[in-house]
Amino acid sequence: MTASYLLPALTVLCILCGLRARVDVYSAFVRGAKEGLLTLVNMLPYLAAILTAVALLRETGLLERAEHLLRPVLAAIGLPQETAALVLLRPLSGSASLALVGDVIRTCGVDSRAARLCSVISGASETVFFTGSLYLGAAGVRRSRYAVPVALLAYLAGVLAAAWLA
Amino acid sequence: MNAVFCVMLLIGLIGSVSMGRVEEAQRALMAGGGEAVELLVGLAGAYAFFGGLLGVLRESGATGALAAALRRPASRLFRFQLGEERALDDICVNLSANMLGMGGAATPAGLSAMRTLAAAGARDGRASDAMILFLVINTSSVQLLPTSMIALRAQAGAASPADIVLPTLLATAVSTVCGVVLCRLCAAHANPKRRRRP
Repeated sequence: MTASYLLPALTVLCILCGLRARVDVYSAFVRGAKEGLLTLVNMLPYLAAILTAVALLRETGLLERAEHLLRPVLAAIGLPQETAALVLLRPLSGSASLALVGDVIRTCGVDSRAARLCSVISGASETVFFTGSLYLGAAGVRRSRYAVPVALLAYLAGVLAAAWLA
Repeated sequence: MNAVFCVMLLIGLIGSVSMGRVEEAQRALMAGGGEAVELLVGLAGAYAFFGGLLGVLRESGATGALAAALRRPASRLFRFQLGEERALDDICVNLSANMLGMGGAATPAGLSAMRTLAAAGARDGRASDAMILFLVINTSSVQLLPTSMIALRAQAGAASPADIVLPTLLATAVSTVCGVVLCRLCAAHANPKRRRRP
């Protein structure tokens, strides 16, 4: 369980970092915690919206059917069918994928392969479409050329790597 | 996201009627908000903890140190055309903040870098190669610690919540490297005559 030492070690490192820079570690921690909690609270309505839609699709059995249809495609690249919704929605929305990973963890169990894979896929990628439209929009780009296909291919490479690694 | 949300709801509702599962649908519609609050409560501890650690790092100047360390590799990676090198500082701040998981600090620097690159190299709203490379690096995720996922797994009682860190890092690395290589290939294809600067 070497991974269990990671967070304690990082915490010690951060405290030493703060002490060395003569920072008030307590106040800095409180300010940071406030920011983290506010991020989470701001995400709540988005989580509520997407979880409502996911709950509807799950309760009516449609999610399972759709995933069942996609299973041959996913199986070919070594992914369990429960990851289908996440793989499709991850590039669109960060809160949606957080909600979906939570859903898979609840339905399959946190240490199941599907749930681990979902965490890895979600942690190893970004909201391609959101970031893309934000950055390109800010720069006044109308012709994005090869940006979106390349970004999506890079995302798929990450998904394949995750399927192989986890 | 608008279209996705509407389609999910409409398909769900039509499906529930056609399969005679309207009661389930009705319950599900009321359940989402509660599930979201449960998720929020479960994640609060981890978000406070990671937020706090990041606060300590930020105020000790770790972002600045990391940005300085990134200058040389970033300037090699980008092969700037004339005028584009002015974006280097913003690019380094954006990448270092993203690596540490500080999205709030990364975005303003990223947008500023994008505008500088656009002013130097974009004509008629056409994205330059450097702009696309910068975007692809950003969308392939460079975050070192997947804090939200560790939080989710800790909340659900995983045997070792942090044991996804290594596979996540490797998968991120694969997607970033693929993105950079594909960008190089596309850029070379678009400008066959341009030689690498000495």
